[in-house]
Amino acid sequence: MMKRTLMTSLSLVLALGLAACGNGNSGGNATEGKGDGAKAGSGEKTKISYWTGDRHDADFVKEKVAEFNASNKDGIEVELVVKGDDFDTALDLSFQTSDAPDVIRVKENTVQTFYKKGFLAPIDEFLNDELKAKFPAMPDLNEFDGKRYSLPNYGTTMRLVYNKDLFAKAGIEHPPTTLQELVDTAKKLTAAGKADGAYGFALNFKSPGSAFARSARVVAEMSGYGGFGYDFKTARYDFSGFEPIINAFKQIKDDGSMLPGVESLDIDPLRAQFAEGKIGMYMSYSSEPGVYKNQFPAKIDWAAAPVPTIDGNVKGASGFLGGQWLALSSKTEHKEAAWKFMEFMYGDQVLTDYQEKGFGISMVPSISAAAKTPDVNGIEGFLPNKNDGVWPVYPSVAPEGMKSDDAFFKYMLNGGDLKAIIADLNKRYNAALDSVIANDGVKAEPDAGFDPAALGGKFAK
Amino acid sequence: MNKTKHALFSYSFIFPSALLTLVLGIYPIAWAFRYMFYDYKGFGTARFTGLANFSRILKDTQFWDSVVNTFVYAGGKLLITIPLALLLAAILNRGLRGRQLLRGIFFMPTVISTAVMAVVFFTIFNSYNGILNQFLIRSGLSDSGVDWLGPKYAMLTVILVAAWGAVGNYMLLFLAGLQNIPEDVYEASSLDGAGKIQQFRYITLPMLGPVMQMVIMLAIITALKGYESIMVLTEGGPVGKTEVMFLYLYKLFFPVGGGSAAVQVQEFGYGSAVAFVSAVIVGMISLIYFYASRRMNQTD
Repeated sequence: MMKRTLMTSLSLVLALGLAACGNGNSGGNATEGKGDGAKAGSGEKTKISYWTGDRHDADFVKEKVAEFNASNKDGIEVELVVKGDDFDTALDLSFQTSDAPDVIRVKENTVQTFYKKGFLAPIDEFLNDELKAKFPAMPDLNEFDGKRYSLPNYGTTMRLVYNKDLFAKAGIEHPPTTLQELVDTAKKLTAAGKADGAYGFALNFKSPGSAFARSARVVAEMSGYGGFGYDFKTARYDFSGFEPIINAFKQIKDDGSMLPGVESLDIDPLRAQFAEGKIGMYMSYSSEPGVYKNQFPAKIDWAAAPVPTIDGNVKGASGFLGGQWLALSSKTEHKEAAWKFMEFMYGDQVLTDYQEKGFGISMVPSISAAAKTPDVNGIEGFLPNKNDGVWPVYPSVAPEGMKSDDAFFKYMLNGGDLKAIIADLNKRYNAALDSVIANDGVKAEPDAGFDPAALGGKFAK
Repeated sequence: MNKTKHALFSYSFIFPSALLTLVLGIYPIAWAFRYMFYDYKGFGTARFTGLANFSRILKDTQFWDSVVNTFVYAGGKLLITIPLALLLAAILNRGLRGRQLLRGIFFMPTVISTAVMAVVFFTIFNSYNGILNQFLIRSGLSDSGVDWLGPKYAMLTVILVAAWGAVGNYMLLFLAGLQNIPEDVYEASSLDGAGKIQQFRYITLPMLGPVMQMVIMLAIITALKGYESIMVLTEGGPVGKTEVMFLYLYKLFFPVGGGSAAVQVQEFGYGSAVAFVSAVIVGMISLIYFYASRRMNQTD
């Protein structure tokens, strides 16, 4: 009797334990129909999964996926999985548990990593001459070691967003074009708006990395400096181009023209404040018009203008981010079916709709030439102009000690010797660069003929 | 049942949880232990670097600043939480009307997820349109509000939020301890003429010793390891003023911020080394406390 009880309890706990362990594998993409041989007629569907971290276009993509599922004659069924902030982690896990998606949304800041991790499969075998001519190849953004891994759909431009009502109230006619004008304008706007709680300038300094990536970076790029401190001419890190920019931001803070509490300000609360008319200017990505249409309906009249440069002369290009959208997973068992879905998504109809409905600014020249301006207030300021261009990819490093953004923000709050801070950053970032060159096979070769001013003009004249 | 059978029976029950502990508890620690000696960014090959990560820690002022911040944060949290929890427990242990309801109310923060709680507190404390500042400005107590999450007050704010979230939990443990003190001891002492304060000093506190020792120990470890609410409230900022040890560690494994185009570099190797050093620091503090507090155990 005792023995039976023992065996029963043992099997029970084992079963429970196994059920708990096995849980991770039971969800996610179903791959019942193995191989692409499962075609219509046999009644069996080829199921593929598409994972994206994008939420702004989720409804649109859902609609298109449903359209594809209903219309394709190959018996392919796409399952759309929209992940939140945990997209990268979830993808890492999925590749470790052989539960990986078949098609993956890649972005400019993840594509290199995913490529290096071996998550992506090249798509060259599917690219005919027509597709090659239609979609620009961008080294390190959709092309690695001569092989293509993705194609562009939309890209992100960067602009100065400004409150037209507050500008009118302060009697200012044009958005600033130099750093000095930026400082002066912020001061005037604050003087005009302070009584109603409005200030001239703001950035989301809760995360200095995010704040500077949408501001100092693009001012540097327009002025001819690598936006992340990397100099493509010498293949070394050199942050000296940031000195006037950080000093201008500090001046705005010291003048009291910065919205109080920026230290703990995130981007969404910043947008909420801007929509209420409490902020005169800030710099950000082309996702803003969509935000003010859907998320925080703007109560003010606003517009976007090119970001100011250090001295008013454009010596570089405003970074147009993107170059990739969908990619094939290296682990897919349904390569053909997955490509058929990608082919559908990259069709003129979907891409044109994407731009016209205002989800993003097309990076495909043939589409942006033909598509209508999206019906989203403020987006016209973000459409590509002659100064928008794609910068080459800089080698990312993990320096010892404080990151550049934190060091710069610390200087903005506490003061100090900016030249010494920059010298220290250069030293630490170059040491880290030497280390990745020596140990991780990263290539960083000087390009003496590199001309930042020549980057613009490829998407609009 | 003979001895072997009995042992087998017992082991069959231990086995599943032992297996889970091994796979989900011990294995990850062993994994991290190995990578302490490597330069590993999460992909590609891990490069053995010996003790390089540890010599980097010695020079890493950001890490040591975070250690100091951790002590300030943990110390502040304990100074508020423990006396307050004890006081609340002592009050609620008396025959107070509606004490069940009050216990529930005080315990409630413990049930709420730390991240949700921190989001709520963010709407109270944020400088530009936070509820607290709106109140201060509209009632005329302040002209422009207080920069609660700014460089000056951020640490105080995160301590207050942490204390709010923790006090109910410790109150409940103290309550359990108080209810174990036999009522007749109090009765006897009041026959001898002892007042409430004397009873608290000479009966309640000593007899609560073992519970107190455990509660403080738990509180120290939790406070040293806490970072979740800080992450939501300030992300360790401004400029590292509220960056505690485990938040710094978290960011090495999962870098935050950086904007759209910045490629984030994960530092699994260095992170593992920092994790080890942090664990040693927490362990040492706990041991020191444990030896220093053995006196509390002696209830006689």
